[in-house]
Amino acid sequence: MSEKRKGGVPFESDDAAEQQLWSDLEKLPEEAPSGRLRRRFYDELENADRRTHRRRRLFGWLTAPGLAVALGCLFVGVMVGVLLRSAPTASRAELAQLQQQVAILNRNLVLDRLENDSASKRLLGVIEASDLAEHDPEVRRALLERAVDDRVHSVRSAAIDAIGPRVGSPAVGDELMASLEKAESPLVQLALADLVLRYGNPKQMEQLLQLSAQGRLHPDVAKHVQSSVSGNRV
Amino acid sequence: MQAVSDEQLIQWVADGDASCLGTLFERHHRSVYQYCLQLTRRPAASEDLVQDVFLKLLQKAGSYRGEGSCKAWIFNIARNVTFDYLRRAERRTVSDDDADENAEPLVDHRSTEQVAAGQQNLHLVARALAEIPAAAREVIWLGRFVFEDYEDLARALGCTASAARVRMHRAMQQLNTTFTRMNGVPIDV
Repeated sequence: MSEKRKGGVPFESDDAAEQQLWSDLEKLPEEAPSGRLRRRFYDELENADRRTHRRRRLFGWLTAPGLAVALGCLFVGVMVGVLLRSAPTASRAELAQLQQQVAILNRNLVLDRLENDSASKRLLGVIEASDLAEHDPEVRRALLERAVDDRVHSVRSAAIDAIGPRVGSPAVGDELMASLEKAESPLVQLALADLVLRYGNPKQMEQLLQLSAQGRLHPDVAKHVQSSVSGNRV
Repeated sequence: MQAVSDEQLIQWVADGDASCLGTLFERHHRSVYQYCLQLTRRPAASEDLVQDVFLKLLQKAGSYRGEGSCKAWIFNIARNVTFDYLRRAERRTVSDDDADENAEPLVDHRSTEQVAAGQQNLHLVARALAEIPAAAREVIWLGRFVFEDYEDLARALGCTASAARVRMHRAMQQLNTTFTRMNGVPIDV
């Protein structure tokens, strides 16, 4: 995303040595900042955004469900182990019930990770959620939210990659169009519209054009949609 | 995302959508970092400065008036932040010699084998660039790697386009003189 070295301003000199230097400069190695910079920036941005919107959340409330889910997983894991050891005596129904509980806990863990304050945990949540999104509306909504509204670029990109190929399916597509109608931020609208433009089916494209024509999208987003669609048709 | 211009993004930041700043950060933080590093020669300080620059954008988004590119405006802010830092650093150091001793090597983390294998010229260019005054280094860096026309370069530097051309010309002369001295060959006239 960051722009790589381009041609630079036109530099003309009668001095061949200066021209040669100008050309040699391009070959200088590029020093990259550490990954810490990105993390610090997004942390600060999130803090600044919270201050702006007066959104105060108690960290205890956020971490408690995560801890509960982790303990629950541990408990169920131990129980599965015990039952497997005594498999001949344990009924199949009990095992199935435990497997179901594991699936529920796993789902809750994924949802919790998708909402976590830490970007790396959200990223992990996105990776885990991609398998569940197809059949679970709540996971789908949470993943979609990461795809369009996450502060951290890498989380957003991963979520777009995860949800993109599923946009054509009715369940994900309907969710996407509903989110698009509700979105107020032009950047969010744009991200959603781009998902439809890249992966949507003809019906979704038509819906997108209707929204755009009805003035329900930000004017710049509507312009982008119209130019993209007309570009594709040409 | 590329469909949205920097100018539009900064407008949305000004309207209260701080998330748009993340997109601007992804587009420009590397080049802002390299610019700061050229001037400070300190990687850790340069990362702090990049952080300051982008948080300043959040505060100042409303003051962007669309005169010139948003990128030039960002680099003008980066310039002010970096020179403030350099002035503070200068006050803290007892002498220039101390400052040079504390400075970290700007480029060249390469092995001697690489340098020997036809890289010596480049090595000297990097050393010459590090040796010329910060004001000259700044013009060369911005003109060579960041901007493609003198109007934007001038806005970043806070001068006119013709002044930017003159400064570039002088800076390249300084670089050539320093490079030639290091290289031990006569100046090409």
